[in-house]
Order: sequence, then structure tokens, then C-alpha cells
Amino acid sequence: MLFNSLHFLIFLPIVIGLYYLLPQKFRWIWIFFASCYFYMVFVPKYILILFLIILIDYFSALAIERAIGRLKLFYLVASLTANISLLAFFKYFNFFNENLVSVFSLFGKEFHPINLSIILPIGLSFHTFQSMSYTIEVYRGKQKAERHLGYFANYVLFFPQMVAGPIERYETLGNELKTSHKPLYQNFSDGFKLILFGLFVKMAVADNIAPYVNQIYAEPLKYNSLQVLLSVFLFSFQIYADFFGYSTIALGSAKLLGINIMDNFKTPYLSKSVSEFWSRWHISLSTWFRDYLYIPLGGNRVAIPRWSLNILIVFIVSGFWHGANWTFVVWGALHGLMLLLERYFSSWFKFEIKNEWSFLNILLVLKTFIITSFIWIFFRAENFQKAKEMFNAIFNNQSVELVSLDILYALLFTGLIILFDFFLYNTRFDSKLNTFKTPFRWAFYIVLLFCLMTMSGTQKFTFIYFQF
Amino acid sequence: MTKKIIIKILILVIVLTGLNFIYNLTQYKHDLKDRCKEIVDIKEKQDSTDIFYFAESSNLTVRDEDSIKNSISEITGFFYPSLKITSIDKPATHAGIYKVWLKSINVNLNKPKAIIVTLNMRSFDAAWIHSKLETQLQESVVLVQPYPNIFNRFLLSLQAFDNKTEEQREQEMLDDWKNVQLVFPFDFKYKTVRDWDVSYGQYGWDLPEGDPKKNKILLTCHYIKGYAFNLNENNPRIKDFDEIAKWCHQNKINLYLNLLAENIEYADSLVGKELVFLMKQNRDYLVKRYSKNNCVVVDNLDNVNGLEFIDQTWTTEHYGYRGRMIIGRNLADSLKKQFSKQYKKAY
Repeated sequence: MLFNSLHFLIFLPIVIGLYYLLPQKFRWIWIFFASCYFYMVFVPKYILILFLIILIDYFSALAIERAIGRLKLFYLVASLTANISLLAFFKYFNFFNENLVSVFSLFGKEFHPINLSIILPIGLSFHTFQSMSYTIEVYRGKQKAERHLGYFANYVLFFPQMVAGPIERYETLGNELKTSHKPLYQNFSDGFKLILFGLFVKMAVADNIAPYVNQIYAEPLKYNSLQVLLSVFLFSFQIYADFFGYSTIALGSAKLLGINIMDNFKTPYLSKSVSEFWSRWHISLSTWFRDYLYIPLGGNRVAIPRWSLNILIVFIVSGFWHGANWTFVVWGALHGLMLLLERYFSSWFKFEIKNEWSFLNILLVLKTFIITSFIWIFFRAENFQKAKEMFNAIFNNQSVELVSLDILYALLFTGLIILFDFFLYNTRFDSKLNTFKTPFRWAFYIVLLFCLMTMSGTQKFTFIYFQF
Repeated sequence: MTKKIIIKILILVIVLTGLNFIYNLTQYKHDLKDRCKEIVDIKEKQDSTDIFYFAESSNLTVRDEDSIKNSISEITGFFYPSLKITSIDKPATHAGIYKVWLKSINVNLNKPKAIIVTLNMRSFDAAWIHSKLETQLQESVVLVQPYPNIFNRFLLSLQAFDNKTEEQREQEMLDDWKNVQLVFPFDFKYKTVRDWDVSYGQYGWDLPEGDPKKNKILLTCHYIKGYAFNLNENNPRIKDFDEIAKWCHQNKINLYLNLLAENIEYADSLVGKELVFLMKQNRDYLVKRYSKNNCVVVDNLDNVNGLEFIDQTWTTEHYGYRGRMIIGRNLADSLKKQFSKQYKKAY
């Protein structure tokens, strides 16, 4: 089910209403069925994959906890292998097939790929990573294995965040799901604020930018350099608004049930460096990679060459996690390289800036935005040829005539999201708004409601991160 | 807490009412024009209109070499120079969309004296019902649903209308062809469209592209898929037209179902008498069902000969000028009973 659908706007109040009417001991059953229904609206049969992941990790965790010595590791490896195999099969099978064809042809041989016409289950990368974090934590002894299969299933299935995160840890979400929550006015108030803001960001901002960006990316060579360059910058805001909007609605929906989930974004485009960007963008994934890949590889407690390699590995894997395409790998690798360059040359720029919004800091923010925007080209382009066309158009199409494109709303809402970012710097929409008096808050709601209801995009765009 | 929530909900309702008012004042007309200019046209032209003529592409298409380029509605208009016939047309439209157009007529203002609704036989078939153009058509009428306009606009953004994917629609069409049983009062070996289609198609699939024999087989299959069905009250388009007829009856506006001509000649020579039987049976069904109250069925089904159809390699209802003139005159003749004083012989 999509958050930006009438279906969800009917589903959510029903789920919340019954949730609070039921006694605590039955609530997990209700959340379980609601979550299954939410997922099955997409492709019903794929719920079986989720059940399989749940069963594998539930029993693995119990086995890990009971085992001693090397057996513990054996169960962990078995569980991780099963999870990664599922992910590899559904997400990377076709990719490997295609690449095998290319590799064989390099040696003058023919390879006939097996055609399985696999469709990637929505959000598979998210729930496998979330589930894997649980077994790893149990292995590390930081988390007790959950005895109640229903609670564990809800941890993997919890509908607000099941298909595109945030990737939660059992320590937080698992416990939140077990706690008895009373219907509190403040939770309702904050939940609705977040949902309203999330819908606005997704439907008014992202969905108004999408048509312009799609048009340019379809045939970049037809457009003037300035228009192509603008589409590159606009895509940065589109993907941000799309994913940030989704995460905010997820946060708000969970809040209505009294459940707190983590913030996934903290105004990433106000970062002064690429490393800061990664502490503000898709935080739950960054921390996942930090805890389960970067630190086990040695983190920064190793020699510089090894540390550099660790960084590159993490970012390349992160790129590959996003999609089964070499463009994603390059996207990740470029981020890794930028981060390394920043670290290598950071000693050259050691000066103290007291004012947060000094001219120099603003320049640093702009620099980071431009770098990340250009790297997004590899994320957005469906292949290297398209990415090359984008760069060609940016650098060589100055003389191409400007094509008239409908861009008013895209620019208007991009401006608004930039203003919002300054407004929300280092805070969250609901808590920020709660610091203002009622008339100001209502003025805010009215503007958001009007924009949302009358100026949102009217084409069908699913959330970009659903494909991962 | 409950009191607080109720107060907030009440405030929200007041705010939404205010926002709806502002939306109607500022953006609604613009949005409507963007998505359904036909409804804006109806509203703007209603005052000066005597007869509305609703049509699909048959009223928009002429043959390049035609010496007379007038549309069917214009030709009908030649017979009634004192009446203002306003045509509202859009390709691929069907009774489900006409129904929405019709309801946008404000009967409290200057009511039209008659409404002509053009329908072709294929608009009742599975291919048209499950056409990939349907999503676009459904989207075009979201803004005129019987809810506050601001809510309709929000539904548009939420894509809350019949917006199935092309793949879903195609599957539904294939399912219909495979499962819906054809009924004949005589023995006939093919019980479904799929069986009938395959019986011809299998001899052409292997032939090279462009082969005249293959083209003929493909055209034959189009005829089968376009016309092989039995009309009954379960057909969604019949339900739509029932609503149209009911609305016109309730509002005392005369309704003319302008049933377009089909290429009976080609259907007969390519497929055979069984298909022609179905076409005529369906025509009879429409005539019988709707020739009552204030509704008249103008039957053009076999009025135009095969060569007068513009598309000779496809099934359409696009006519050369002779075809348009025949239909235009036939329609004009049917209107004579209501508008005898205004009638003038044109040709």
C-alpha cells in the first residue's frame, strides 16, 4: 500500500482505532494482520518471503543464544547466508546473469542466461537488513533472543517502516512494540503533524519535480545545458523530498500508535562536507553499515591505507545495496572517494568558524550540495550511456535552444523545501512546530493543507526507494 | 482528550470549507480546463446551445482528399440552420464518460432541447472496455465528481480513480476474451472470442510482416475481437447508457442514441455471417432497449458501404464525406419529429 493513496488514508484510522480499543495482549495480532494486509496490497504472494525471513531469523537467534563456542558463529553465518541468498536471488540474479553474458563474450564464448523473470519484492533490502541486525546483535550478546514469534514478526513487518525503513534495531522497535501505549493527545497531535508534512513533502514537492526531471533524463541531449543542469539539482531535491516525505509519514503513522521510530534525515543538504552529509542522509542505513560492516572491518583504528579501503568497501557495498546496477556501484564509490579526499585534505583547511552561517560555511554547504548532486546522476541514470549523455549535455549543449517546460510548481516547491530545511535545521517538524503558538501553527497547517490538496503532482509516482 | 480532538476536527472542517472556497475562486477552473476541457466547454456553451452532440473520434476525423470536410454534427446542423448544435468530442470516449459530461449540464439554466450521444458498437466490446486509454479518460472526470472540488483535486493527486496499469487492463481484456461465452441461436463451433480469433490467427502468425495474406488475417482477427460479443444488461456500457437515458428522462430532455455505421461488408467477407449476425443482434438489442420514453435510437449500423470507411486495414468508425453525409442526414431525419418547424432540406 502506498502512503500517498486514499487506501492508506482509510486504512490508517481503522488500524489506530482498533489498536487502542483492543487490550494490550491482543494488539500484536492486530498489528500483525494490519501489516500483512499493508504489504499484500502490493504483491500478495511475496508475503511468504517475509515469513521465511522471519522464521529463519527467529529460530537462528534462539539457536545462537543457546549455542556455545563456534556453534554460535555457525548459526549466525547460516542465518546471514540465508538472508543474503534470498536478497541475492531476488535482487541480483538477473544482474549476475547479464554480467555473465558480458564476461563470457569477452572471452569469445557464449553464455545462455537462465530467464526467470523475477520481480523484486518491494522493500526486500530493508527488511532483510533489519532482520539481520537482530541476529547479529543476539550473536554479540547485546540483545536477548525474542521468544514470542508474534512480536518478532511485527518487528520485521511493522507497516509504517517495513518497505522503506528506517531500518530499526530490535532494541528500540522491538521494545516499543511490546510496550502498552495509551492513546495520548500529544501523540495524535504530533503524528498528524508529521503525516501532513510528509504528504506535503512527497506529493507537493517530489511529485511536482518528478515530471521535469523525468523529461530531461529521458532525452538529455535535446535540452540546453542550463535546463539539464537544473534537472540535476532538482533531482537532488526530488529524491530527498521523496524519501524524507516517506520517512516522515512513517514516523507520524508509528507515532499515532504511540510508537517512536528513528529519524532518517536531518536536513542533509545543509551539510558542510560529504561525511556530514552521510550523518544526515538515510541515517538508519549509514549506522547499519557503520555497525555491521565498517567497524568489523576495523573502522578507523587501522593504518590509513587500510582505513581508506574500508571506507571504499562500505560505500561500494552501500551502492550495490541500492540497486543491481553498476551505476549504483559507481555512485557509492564516488561518495567513498569524496569522503577520502575530504579527510586527506582536511588538514589544509583547519580554521575555526564560529558563526554557523558564515559566508565560508555557506560556501561549504554549496560545495557539498553540488558534489552530491553530480554524483546523483549515476544514481538516477538507468545506465552509463545515459549518465554520459547527461554530462555531455551539461558541458556541450550551451547553444541548444531552450525548450519551454512547465516548471513553475517544481521551482516554487523546491524553494519551499529549502526554506523548510533552514527552519528545521537540527530538529524535527513536530517538535519545532510545538515551540510556536497556536495561531502560527494553524497558519502553517492551512498553508500545507492548501498546497497539498490543490497543488500536488497528479501523475503516478511511487516512492523511489520502494525499488530497493 | 476527546473534547479537544472534536474541537480540532471542527476547526479542520471549517478550514477545509474555507480552502475549498478559495480553491474554487482561484484554481478550479484552470485545473478543470487542463484535464477536461469538454466539461468547461459544456458549461460555457450551455446558454447558447439547443442541442449537444457528444461524440468520439468519428466527429473529428475526415479523409485528406475529401472535398467536403464537415463533421457529422455540422452536416446535421445544415438541416437545422436556426438551431445551435454544439459538438463536444474526444477520441475513444464512451457512454461512461458521456454520462459524466451530461451530468455537468446545469438543468436549472437554459436546458438543451436535445442531446445526441454517439456510440459505436465496438465501444461495448472488451478491448474498448479494458482499453489502455481508459485510465486517462477516468482521470479526466475526477474533478467533477459529486464531492467538494478541493477534495476531488486531492483525489486526483492520490490517483484515487480507476487507474489500473496497462498490464492489468490487458489481462482483464484477455480474460474476457477467454472466458465470456458467445451465444448463438444456432450451432457454431467457437464458443469464445479467443477460440474464434485463434482459429484465424494461427494461419497468419508465422507469415512475414507485411505479407498481404498476414495483413488480411490480422484484420479478420480485429473484426472478431471488435464485434464478437452479446450485449446484455451486465455490460458496463449498457449500465452507463441506462444512467444517461434515466437522467434525460428525469430532466425531460430528448435523447438521441446515434448508433454509428460499422463495416458490415468487410465483417461479412472477412469473417462471415456469424459475426454479422452478432452485430445485428446487438443493434436490435440497443434499439429495443432504448426506443422508449424520450429516447430515440438512430440506427446507422449498415448504412455506409465498406469503401466509405477511411481506415481499410483497421476497425474504426471514421468515414469519408459520403459516409458522414449519410449519417448526418439520417440523424437529421430522426430529429425532424421534434424540430419539424426548424427543419430545412439541405441536400
